[in-house]
Amino acid sequence: MTVTRRNVLLGATAAAALLPIASRAQASEVVIGIIYPFSGASAQIGVDAQKAFETAAEVINNKYDFDLPLARDAGLPGLGGAKIRLVFADHQADPQKGRAEAERLITQEKVCAIVGTYQSAVAVTVSQICDRYQIPFISADNSSPSLHRRGLKFYFRAAPHDEMFSGAMFDFFDAMKKKGTKIETLSLFHEDTIFGTDSGNAQLKLAADRGYKVLADIKYRANSPSLSAEVQQLKAANADVLMPSSYTTDGILLVKTMAELGYKPNAIVAQDAGFSEKALYDAVGDKLEGVISRGSFSLDLAAKRPMVGKINAMFKEKSGKDLNDFSSRQFMGLIVMADAINRAKSTDGDKIREALVATDMPGESTIMPWKRVKFDETGQNNDADPVLLQYTGGKFVTIFPPQAAVAEAVWPMK
Amino acid sequence: MTAETIIQSLASGLLMGLLYGLIAVGLALIFGLMDVVNFAHGEFLMIAMYATFFLFAFFAIDPLLAAPLVAAALFVFGALVYLLIVRFAVRAKANAGMVQIFSTFGLAIVMRGLAQFFFTPDYRSVTHSWLGGKTVSIAGIFLPVPQLAGALVSILAFGALYFFINRTDFGRALEATREDAGAVALVGIDKNRVFALGWGLGAALVGLAGAIMAMFFYIYPDVGASFALIAYVTVALGGFGSVFGAFAGGIIVGLVEASTALLLPPSLKSVGIYAVYLLVVFIRPRGLFGSI
Repeated sequence: MTVTRRNVLLGATAAAALLPIASRAQASEVVIGIIYPFSGASAQIGVDAQKAFETAAEVINNKYDFDLPLARDAGLPGLGGAKIRLVFADHQADPQKGRAEAERLITQEKVCAIVGTYQSAVAVTVSQICDRYQIPFISADNSSPSLHRRGLKFYFRAAPHDEMFSGAMFDFFDAMKKKGTKIETLSLFHEDTIFGTDSGNAQLKLAADRGYKVLADIKYRANSPSLSAEVQQLKAANADVLMPSSYTTDGILLVKTMAELGYKPNAIVAQDAGFSEKALYDAVGDKLEGVISRGSFSLDLAAKRPMVGKINAMFKEKSGKDLNDFSSRQFMGLIVMADAINRAKSTDGDKIREALVATDMPGESTIMPWKRVKFDETGQNNDADPVLLQYTGGKFVTIFPPQAAVAEAVWPMK
Repeated sequence: MTAETIIQSLASGLLMGLLYGLIAVGLALIFGLMDVVNFAHGEFLMIAMYATFFLFAFFAIDPLLAAPLVAAALFVFGALVYLLIVRFAVRAKANAGMVQIFSTFGLAIVMRGLAQFFFTPDYRSVTHSWLGGKTVSIAGIFLPVPQLAGALVSILAFGALYFFINRTDFGRALEATREDAGAVALVGIDKNRVFALGWGLGAALVGLAGAIMAMFFYIYPDVGASFALIAYVTVALGGFGSVFGAFAGGIIVGLVEASTALLLPPSLKSVGIYAVYLLVVFIRPRGLFGSI
């Protein structure tokens, strides 16, 4: 058979006529992959994350009167009201399992986008796979600064990274110093995967730039059975501020061991992670009155934006917990992704990517204290302002930056 | 580095080491008895910690009082594991070694999965206990009371075990079965009963360790994994099958771990343990006190 111009034209017309039907047929359901640790040492994070994503999907798929993208419509109006369906995959905090699961989500489950992953080390492999298959990936809650600097085209992060977070901590130190508080020396305490390492490096660099002396820089093995030798060194250094970058397990053990060895620092300024988790405060909260942690979320925002309180209530009904720094970022991760898919009016990876690049979401239509969501050419949102929170009287209050603060910092901690 | 830092590290290492020994001894006992490595050993520790936690949370029983109850419960559990699973695994006609490994390994995964399902993966802690959070300070050296109690319990348990194995009829039966399981049948010793009691005893000892650990460690479904790994090294170091090798092995592991952290960056502190282990394997493959 010879291919004539007429045949080609006919074929093209037929294809053009069929295309909307095909895309409409596909679009009755938009499948998004969610990749988290659902078993292993950080399973608790994954289980809570699942509830946060389900809350976000509920907001997207049903009508709610929130000033949040997609809340006021049922499903995605750009795709004829298609509903979001989430497929959860378990990476067990293992970068290699993350790689395999991402590949499975894309090739078997046919997801059009992926959101993950809690551990930054896993985000490294998952985002590489996504880039290879040209599937957009949103780092909902990974904070390692190196993640968006790898030249990936399909990598996006709406939340701040650890350099921004650590920058806020040092801004806070500078402000406290101006008020006459003595802050000259620091002890860094960070775990040995990419999260702790990147965080430690960022803090080391900032300390050198701003003239703070680092007395101890301790990198420890994650999930250690004992931290007494490490705490012993922190105690010997006895710096003005202790700055831990630890996941929940090590955070609990750190605080317990500090109490056992009689080490009481003047202040603890933590890089989130374990220090945002309810489990840690359930276990050792009595020893942490006045601890400061960076965050990207604070429930006291609910006073200004009532929808934050309502979404928190929805999440709490599912999980029995309040939204925290992680679940709020996970929630927003899915909202941002769904918003892009809606504007792309397609489940094609390239089109969603274009829509993500064009994202410009004002801060008021998020549940975060951010200025807005807009990605730079590396996929990082530089308008996500971090906050510092202090744990007082059993809850967190925002103490920094001044425009978001609802209370003065208590220094030294009790 | 001051003398105080060194003494503090070694003291912490010694206390932790005695606990490592107590955790490992059950493994050594079971292996010595019937040449089966219990790959679910870490999970035995995990359920002991959960049992202690629940006794505390629901009945406000202090971990110290709970310890004997938990040990007794674990005794029954260990005996049941032998009677319901291991007894059949060791009878396998083909590939007996693999069947044993996979039966206990599978048990470990099932236990972890069930724990996550029923107890949720949340991190639990015993928040108040008589000894928890208390510390004695001697000349600037801080000794946490729960770990001190753990060390004391460990020493007492090893003493009792020594007496039990060497001075009682059942202990002699245990030794005899271990020497030659076929021959003991001729003198009227029921091999299955001895094995079941051996498993019970091994589990009870790790139960004791779990109750003590619950006072100062967080509890979650995977908590056994990191301790089990140390227990295997402890047993291999002390000598497979040697109960007192586990005691010495635990102390060595604790001290080596603490002193490595003084000399190397703390993220490399397990390097010391495995280096010593490698050395022992090269020079004395059966372990320090091994008899096989």
